[in-house]
Amino acid sequence: MTSTHTQAHASAAARKAAANRVNAKPGRKVFVRILRCDGPGQPSRWETFSVTIERGANVISCLQQIAANPITSDGTRSTPVVWDSGCLEEVCGACTMVINGKVRQSCSCLIDDHAPTEGDTITLEPMSKFPVVRDLWVDRSRLFHNLKRVKAWVPIDGTYALGPGPSESAESQEQRYVMSTCMSCGCCLEACPQFNVEPDPAAWDTAFVGAHALNQARLFNQHETGRRMKGERLDALMGTGGVNDCGNAQNCVKVCPKLIPLTESIAVIGRATTIHAFARWFSGK
Amino acid sequence: MTQHRVIVVGGGLAGLAASIRIAEAGLPVDLFSLVPVKRSHSVCAQGGINACNEVARQQGYSEYEHFDETIYGGDFLADQHPVLEMANWAPKIIDLLDRMGVPFNRTAEGRRDLRLFGGSLFKRTHFAGATTGQQLIYALDEQTRRYESEEKVTKYEYWEFLWPVIEEGRCVGIVAQDMRTMQIRSFRADAVVMATGGCGLVFGKSTNSIICNGAAAARCYQAGVWYGNPEMIQVHPTAIPGADKLRLMSESARGEGGRVWVPRTPRDTRAPKDIPEPERFYFLEEKYPAYGNIVPRDIATREIFDICVNQGMGVGGDNQVYLDLSHKDPEYLTKKLGGILEIYEKFVGVDPRFEPMKIFPAVHYSMGGLWTQFTKGTYNPVEPRVKHKSGAPAPIGSDLGQGLQPGAPNNMMTNVPGLYAFGELNFAYHGANRLGANALLSCIFDGLFCGVSVANYIRNDAPSKSPSCDLPASAFDRVVEQENAKSKRLLDTVSTGDPDPATNPYIIGKELGDEMTAACTVVREDARLGQCLQRLDALKERYTRLKLADDSPWSNQSFTYARAVGDMLAIAEAVALGARGRQESRGAHYRTDFTERDDANFMKSTVARYNAQTRTSSVTFEPIDASLILPTVRTYGKKDAATGPKPPASAVATNA
Amino acid sequence: MASISPLERHAFLLRRLHSLTGIAPIGLFLVSHLLTNSSIVWGLMDSRKAVHGHGGVATFQHEVDFIHSIPFLLIIEVFGLWLPIAFHAALGVYYARSGKANTARYAYQSNWRYRLQRISGYVGILFIFYHVATLRWGWTFLVPGGATWSGEAAASTMALALQGAETGITGAGLAVSIAYMLGVSLLVFHFANGLWTAAITWGVTVSAPAQRRWGFVCAGIGAGMMLMAWSAVIGFATLDVKEARGTEQSLQTGHTPGPQIAETLPQLMPAAASGGH
Repeated sequence: MTSTHTQAHASAAARKAAANRVNAKPGRKVFVRILRCDGPGQPSRWETFSVTIERGANVISCLQQIAANPITSDGTRSTPVVWDSGCLEEVCGACTMVINGKVRQSCSCLIDDHAPTEGDTITLEPMSKFPVVRDLWVDRSRLFHNLKRVKAWVPIDGTYALGPGPSESAESQEQRYVMSTCMSCGCCLEACPQFNVEPDPAAWDTAFVGAHALNQARLFNQHETGRRMKGERLDALMGTGGVNDCGNAQNCVKVCPKLIPLTESIAVIGRATTIHAFARWFSGK
Repeated sequence: MTQHRVIVVGGGLAGLAASIRIAEAGLPVDLFSLVPVKRSHSVCAQGGINACNEVARQQGYSEYEHFDETIYGGDFLADQHPVLEMANWAPKIIDLLDRMGVPFNRTAEGRRDLRLFGGSLFKRTHFAGATTGQQLIYALDEQTRRYESEEKVTKYEYWEFLWPVIEEGRCVGIVAQDMRTMQIRSFRADAVVMATGGCGLVFGKSTNSIICNGAAAARCYQAGVWYGNPEMIQVHPTAIPGADKLRLMSESARGEGGRVWVPRTPRDTRAPKDIPEPERFYFLEEKYPAYGNIVPRDIATREIFDICVNQGMGVGGDNQVYLDLSHKDPEYLTKKLGGILEIYEKFVGVDPRFEPMKIFPAVHYSMGGLWTQFTKGTYNPVEPRVKHKSGAPAPIGSDLGQGLQPGAPNNMMTNVPGLYAFGELNFAYHGANRLGANALLSCIFDGLFCGVSVANYIRNDAPSKSPSCDLPASAFDRVVEQENAKSKRLLDTVSTGDPDPATNPYIIGKELGDEMTAACTVVREDARLGQCLQRLDALKERYTRLKLADDSPWSNQSFTYARAVGDMLAIAEAVALGARGRQESRGAHYRTDFTERDDANFMKSTVARYNAQTRTSSVTFEPIDASLILPTVRTYGKKDAATGPKPPASAVATNA
Repeated sequence: MASISPLERHAFLLRRLHSLTGIAPIGLFLVSHLLTNSSIVWGLMDSRKAVHGHGGVATFQHEVDFIHSIPFLLIIEVFGLWLPIAFHAALGVYYARSGKANTARYAYQSNWRYRLQRISGYVGILFIFYHVATLRWGWTFLVPGGATWSGEAAASTMALALQGAETGITGAGLAVSIAYMLGVSLLVFHFANGLWTAAITWGVTVSAPAQRRWGFVCAGIGAGMMLMAWSAVIGFATLDVKEARGTEQSLQTGHTPGPQIAETLPQLMPAAASGGH
């Protein structure tokens, strides 16, 4: 219901991609232009590699080709490009990078969709909101740190056999499931104008927490047992860097690969903090 | 005061479950993972997790039948006692996950919904959308994060396990490397839990994540840990061919009514929709009327392989068959299978709700793994029982402790004291073939049930008298030096001469994958396996002349990969040796030259041992304890069961 | 633990006060202020006012006189307006500095509104300062032609301040008028978009459809205010200063205007009204 707009948006892009795909021919050469960096504090540079495209090729298969034969398009011997990846099925979130200017997973990025003709160029950059480790690999520790800020877990009494969990309506399960498909990829953070690079971990607790964490706070506030920590979560989100730091640019929901209603989650947290603040004011604590 | 510590290597379901349980037992845990644990390969499991439940129970199902199905599905090669204990624990594990907040699909009344899965006639599979594995690991990841914030668990993410430290005949720590700074150092521990999953990358392209290269297992193996049933590699019948990997199409697509077929006319050029019903060959339904499309994986795989490779009936003449869901209500499909159908559409560009998918088998799961021990529980019948009749009353109740003795220190301990193997890395549960939706269960069960064993080992055994923190540094430094030397040797190759494909680690890795897929997957045969072993020797020789393209001392990914290739070669050899030595057909292991199961000689665990001096593997076959269930012929009610599928001897499996 | 600043300790309160002050009193004042000022156009439709000459001028004068009749006006002005604006502006700048616009890469409409909200805030601060300094505090050196606004001759002096000379609009006058046009447009956008985001901030609109629906309402409010704002600026920028002065004198002396003025009215009205579009 809430993601109709996003889906319409996604399907328009999908239609364009499908049209490109029809014209694309395997065996063609395309250029992969990569923003490289040898390590933290090192200067960045562009390198271009020429890659022969096989059927169904994606950005990952291009990077694999380059790793095996790291020679740039002008014939210079270089080093294999470093990148982060895992499942290659768009469920682990590891291979997120900026492709042709937009953040997304590289595994689900088909070359036919983005560089359909001979000699096309596809541009890869590391995410800009996290410190670069090397080349396309960035350090997303802050993203996980922010899950601790919102206490994104259910406070169970240990792993002993203590019977079933709370019963839940199918409707609530469907809502929670979508929220729970967040794979911590960081697309929402990369596209957010309010979330900016912060290499100093000491500043993480007061910098913007990000849409992914707000969504997790909502997810656990909605769970029967998780709700018992709602107050703590809201307290954390009412401070500096909390929900109020959201600027409502709403890019997050448009780039989320899992179509999670992030802006809805932000508003739910907004409402909860409003109520929480009034309750606290009147309860005299 | 002595501070005991435990190291867990691997942050998938088994590693996280173990970390949580061990931390709960009051022992601090150091958790090592190649990736942030939330990105572990467990996220890829789609279908669900099996457990007896009230609805199935009232229809005649029981924990015992789950146990029986698992043993039967594994073609009587699994350790029977651990499987019994696992089946009895399964409902409790579901409850626990439920308490952790896993969004299991719900019925209208708000109870956990169930689906049908391969190998059972009862609905016993719990699921969370089409990404059950993802949802389960997220729940465990959240609990681990909670313990991390309480400083009970310390995470070492982007750290690679390099070698176990074995001193006084027991495992007392590990040596690991920070994949960013490339620092190599040792870590002390009183017990080490290996939970590093399978080895799909040994077969090149598979359904596994890029991190499932089996290197950690191979390093333990080369350090003296035995490897059990290496040849038991599950090939998943339904995967989507791709350029970088083969993506899984979950068994739940069949469970929800997916029908497998090919046109009756080979190379029929019509669109699938235009082929009328009588001209479609639903070969699984015709051959297996009882189970139809939900026959177990090894059978489905061989039948699809047979149709394509032997009979040349693959769609369009290629190695692919239709997996058809287009007769189902699209709304229903979106609700039940949304996630996995999305994957197909995303990577192929066709909507499977309206057009049949094209699929082919791919390497999926390693039933084999590090060899482990256990202490039997209280259920020890005088004679093994005959196969349980589906739906009949269970002969025993589901009390805990009947299969395994809870907390026994050797539960899932390898032959090296203090070194445990949990999850996919453990060879114990799935025998010759794993049933769908049993993997998630075995991983979590290992972590939760055997985590207590780890704690008891530390408190009652050798570590209580001689804790690792009191051992001399030399034992640890020696292994650090060994690993430093290994890495120096590889890095020093960069400056030597021009690149040559023969010594390129990526090309060696690719050739290894191609060879293993061709010789050691769907069908196997003695001469071909002999040839495979020779080729592995050639690859090993080329590996000694390996040449790297990057000698950076910082985040050197190609170095990390190159080092792993050497370890993958060791595992590959164990797989091929096991496959050659096992002169019978059983479960996923199908020999064209020995098409029958041979219980007299081979109802035994394959145990591979590595000789560090000669750098070679050897296998022996060791008896298993099959005192609970009597083996029967595994036919899944196939019509004319005696003949069986017969791929020709020359057939070579390809998964591309 | 390091000591935290009051800004951090009261982060939530300050954020919500920032949001609240934007709506009330500032937003409400903006609506009433635009209503008053656009009376230079809509006043033409009030036939009772036409007896004094230019109906818009008369209505505007009437409105201004009413405001000036409010007791303790200065106190209300300082505490109900200037301080809230200063508070909203100062915090707004502080908050806006934490963001980094990225419309080049993510050219979504909502992202553009995010960016424009910040730009309009900055421009709005400068504009309000100029507006208040020149017309309220009498910093006439910033006014083209150096006119001083007077509450007694509200419309004519306002027109003079925009146009730069009695004889008609000058170059500097045109520049100031355009600046006014831009300034009020941005402020109206800032308010309407702020109304939309405030509903999310406070959790009034939660679902995407609700946010979209409220977006239409805010756009409607914004369009109405934009019409008033443009009417006011164009109305004053095109007002005949001399004629306005005549109407104002007529209002002061209580004289009904001479018959010749009454006769010219029918021609004036459509001209002025069309200027308000």
